[in-house]
Amino acid sequence: MLVLHTHNSMYPYSSLFFNPKPENNFSMGYQMHQKAGTILRLFREQDGFVSGEKISRSLNVTRTAVWKHISALRDAGYVIEATPSRGYRLVASPDILNIEELASQLHTSSIGRRLVCLSETVTTNADSFRLAEDGAVEGTVVIADAQSSGKGRLGRAWTSPPGVNLYCSVVLRPSIKPYEAPQLTFLSAVAVARAIELITNLKPEIKWPNDVLIQGKKVAGLLNEMSAETDAINFVILGVGVNLNMTFGQFPSDLRHPATSLLLETGQPVGRVRFTATLLNELDRLYTDFRSHGFALVREEWQQRCSANGRHVVVTDCGVEVVSGKYFGIDGDGALLVRRANDKIERILSGDVRVL
Amino acid sequence: MEVKDLKLLIKMITETDITEFEMDNSDEKIVIKRNQKMEYVQVAAPTVAYTTAPQMAVPAAAAPVAASAPAAVVETGETINSPIVGTFYRAPAPDAAPYVEVGQIVEKGQVLCIVEAMKLMNEIEAECRCKIVKICKENAQPVEFGDPLFVMEKL
Repeated sequence: MLVLHTHNSMYPYSSLFFNPKPENNFSMGYQMHQKAGTILRLFREQDGFVSGEKISRSLNVTRTAVWKHISALRDAGYVIEATPSRGYRLVASPDILNIEELASQLHTSSIGRRLVCLSETVTTNADSFRLAEDGAVEGTVVIADAQSSGKGRLGRAWTSPPGVNLYCSVVLRPSIKPYEAPQLTFLSAVAVARAIELITNLKPEIKWPNDVLIQGKKVAGLLNEMSAETDAINFVILGVGVNLNMTFGQFPSDLRHPATSLLLETGQPVGRVRFTATLLNELDRLYTDFRSHGFALVREEWQQRCSANGRHVVVTDCGVEVVSGKYFGIDGDGALLVRRANDKIERILSGDVRVL
Repeated sequence: MEVKDLKLLIKMITETDITEFEMDNSDEKIVIKRNQKMEYVQVAAPTVAYTTAPQMAVPAAAAPVAASAPAAVVETGETINSPIVGTFYRAPAPDAAPYVEVGQIVEKGQVLCIVEAMKLMNEIEAECRCKIVKICKENAQPVEFGDPLFVMEKL
């Protein structure tokens, strides 16, 4: 795992990415970063100039210290205007997955309780799995700028170049039975669809169980992993990859299915921190409801967003056709229901779905 | 034959090099086969042990039953069962080597297989150090909740 250092390595928060290895003193680093996060939050709360005095009061530090924090933020790529009589104004933010900026945009009860940002890793799922095994709290989120070996189902590759997309994994410890855990597959798909809609105004569709599509093209890849005993879940990892600002040339030529990015669909780059915060906020909302009321809300919203509504579907498994018929919704477990021509309902638990 | 006698018989045989044992008498037939420390015990007997049927008739009736009675196979040893309904995968990817093979000794926490249910990948781990005696499912086969996936021998 690499830890990214920005240009100035003299300042405490020039290292904006954390290494989740236990030997790094995470809480120490986080305190220092919180100051930068507070400054960014002040900028966001107040359009325009924020006085140096206000910042120094909020941070409980001297005006000189404020100036040092501002310099460090500038070194990290923030463009901050300073005027002696009026104070500081944030002009532009870099599109880096900055932990304190992300933290300042979260309004969550459990998701993001602990944030780990990495410059590059093998897969965020593997990192969060390891952290969870070591006891990471529910809501721990691992985000990487790039993945060297991003994976989908059955070891399929998920292209994960740096600087453009979102790759993150969330540790959950739900008090449900292992056989109910697949319901979380639908929860993360709904959260991604909501985030895309909130950020871009695009209308994403979901294909069973959790492919998120725009105009039939795949924009997100979701893969969840579970560690469980026979009757109890240790933890579930929700893995989310969303193609935000990827360009044509960055997609591999041998894609199994047509793929796209939000930039390609809208022509507008998407701020990665803003998207990530929106996604985590939506995940938190859905998960909070799921914990107290179960699968009903997720199921209903998933069905509204399903691309197969009223359509004919063909389900194949390992290239062999399993069933063909009319899409008939999902049941209380999330299983796909398909009505054959003879009105018999088939219940599908695995396979690739093609919407005709 | 009573269960305790059958247990004694199996114990006696496993302490020797005998790999196949067959016993046939008027009212029951017992076949014990050993393979890679796997013990199949096949018992075909009239369901009512105290049958009063003429002695001559019983072997004639029992023999074909024994030949076609795989249902009587008893797997000795503990099983590792699936915690969810899903699809059983022996390897992390189609072109990758399987996690485990029959006869392999695995450590506590070692991954044995994946059961996938709707994009939720569940890695099944060994709960103790053990030897994999049998793999009960084929790769990519559907499994039900509680289905045995492996027969194992605690070490």
